[in-house]
Amino acid sequence: MDRTAFLARVEEYHKGGWRLALINATSTMSTEEQPGGSFDVVWAFARGTDFEYVREQVMPDDEVPSISDSFAAAFLYENEMRELFGINVVGLNVDLGGQLYKTSQKVPFSPSAIRARLEANVAAGIASASTTPPAAPHAAPAAPAPAAGKPA
Amino acid sequence: MKRTVIPFGPQHPVLPEPIVLDLILEDERVVDAVPTIGYIHRGLEMMVERVEYTEMGFVVERICGICSFMHGMGYCVSLESIMKIEVPERAQWLRLIWAEISRIQSHLLWLGLGADAFGFENLFMHCWRMREEILDIFEKTTGGRVIHSVNRIGGVKRDISDAELAAILVRLEELGKEFKKTASVFSTDPSIAHRLGGVGVLTAEEALTTATVGPMARASGIATDTRLNGANLYNQIEFQPITETAGDCLARVVVRLREVDQSIDMIRQAIDKMPKGEGLALENKPRGNPVGETFTRLEQPRGEVVYYVKANGTKYLERFRARTPTFANVPAMIQLVKGCELADVPNIILTIDPCISCTER
Repeated sequence: MDRTAFLARVEEYHKGGWRLALINATSTMSTEEQPGGSFDVVWAFARGTDFEYVREQVMPDDEVPSISDSFAAAFLYENEMRELFGINVVGLNVDLGGQLYKTSQKVPFSPSAIRARLEANVAAGIASASTTPPAAPHAAPAAPAPAAGKPA
Repeated sequence: MKRTVIPFGPQHPVLPEPIVLDLILEDERVVDAVPTIGYIHRGLEMMVERVEYTEMGFVVERICGICSFMHGMGYCVSLESIMKIEVPERAQWLRLIWAEISRIQSHLLWLGLGADAFGFENLFMHCWRMREEILDIFEKTTGGRVIHSVNRIGGVKRDISDAELAAILVRLEELGKEFKKTASVFSTDPSIAHRLGGVGVLTAEEALTTATVGPMARASGIATDTRLNGANLYNQIEFQPITETAGDCLARVVVRLREVDQSIDMIRQAIDKMPKGEGLALENKPRGNPVGETFTRLEQPRGEVVYYVKANGTKYLERFRARTPTFANVPAMIQLVKGCELADVPNIILTIDPCISCTER
């Protein structure tokens, strides 16, 4: 991700009086080209009834800059992304040091953890191969989503 | 000065919610608070991997026992948006009525807990007695007092007859008159004003900086309310967000007091405007599997909730995320307790109306 361009866009929302509504990560499963998978991350902002978002595809080795300089409340979402997804967010204004969530499994939403659970589900007969999401191991990656936009 | 760390929660005398904070004190003054999530983290969002989308709504409404109706509604609205399902009009009106009944019961529950926290047990009992009657309405119309399971993707499972709706309105208006007496105690009693007035002040600027939502933001003078976006037939209801300007614990109480009256008025408008008759369509069932993604925003009793749903054409969703209002209000809560006296911490935390079940999911 282009760190400078991303932070500039976020700062535009800040100057425009937008409120941080949500930061959400979704794991994208491994492919031949990207065996470690990747993350689809959305930073959503609200102002009155308007709702817009910035979207980036984040690779496991990427450093994701914190937006807590512009939106102080981002620290909760950013600590969550680090702990549940293993996304390397840097520069947080409040670093909870992995103490936000107490989960029995480390980074339970990482692509490899999801892959392992999906395979276990198929093996246990909970989900048959035909019902396993196509984002399962070695499936074709989803079509690239728009970098920013308004929800339908 | 030497610093002391005091754990606040997961069990605390004033708060049934298992909130976990490490309070860092200098003498009796709080200088920092570190939240921990996980005491009741259940990994509900992860269950989309093994629960089919048609059944997942029942899981979602179990995120929380107070907001259960609106969690179920938000999930169904999300899937309806992805699958482009048109919900019958009467079903939409019924959802709006149940949503506002849900807001009344949530506010009454919280007002009771608040009264109990600042030592007014009699007021607590009055609030909860009235809330019981709201739960009776839920039980009669949905079959459940806490978990209602009345939302379906494409509509609702049950109808409420026109006669029953009229009877519910009569009962709510009687309750509204009764509630005015209780509300006047909250807003005029000098001991309550002394305990809550000027405590835990969140300015409008701070509310925006900390991305605060719901009654918490409205008590700081920000007229934010997701219902203003007009979705789910709220565009046919006349209302204005209820705001106060003081931004203190008392203002947060007063906003919720006034919102009880507002919700009764909304239900009155909804019953007046909804299509009448027996046997009207309530549900358009989904066909096939969903593909796509959506963000859904609703105004829960505690504020804006955002659902993100991503579906990939199978029976299992790829991602379900609920950003609940308490999650959004935690940064403001931490800011408020910094600098306050230890004795004020319970009231400050309580007046954000924290729902830890929602926050931890």
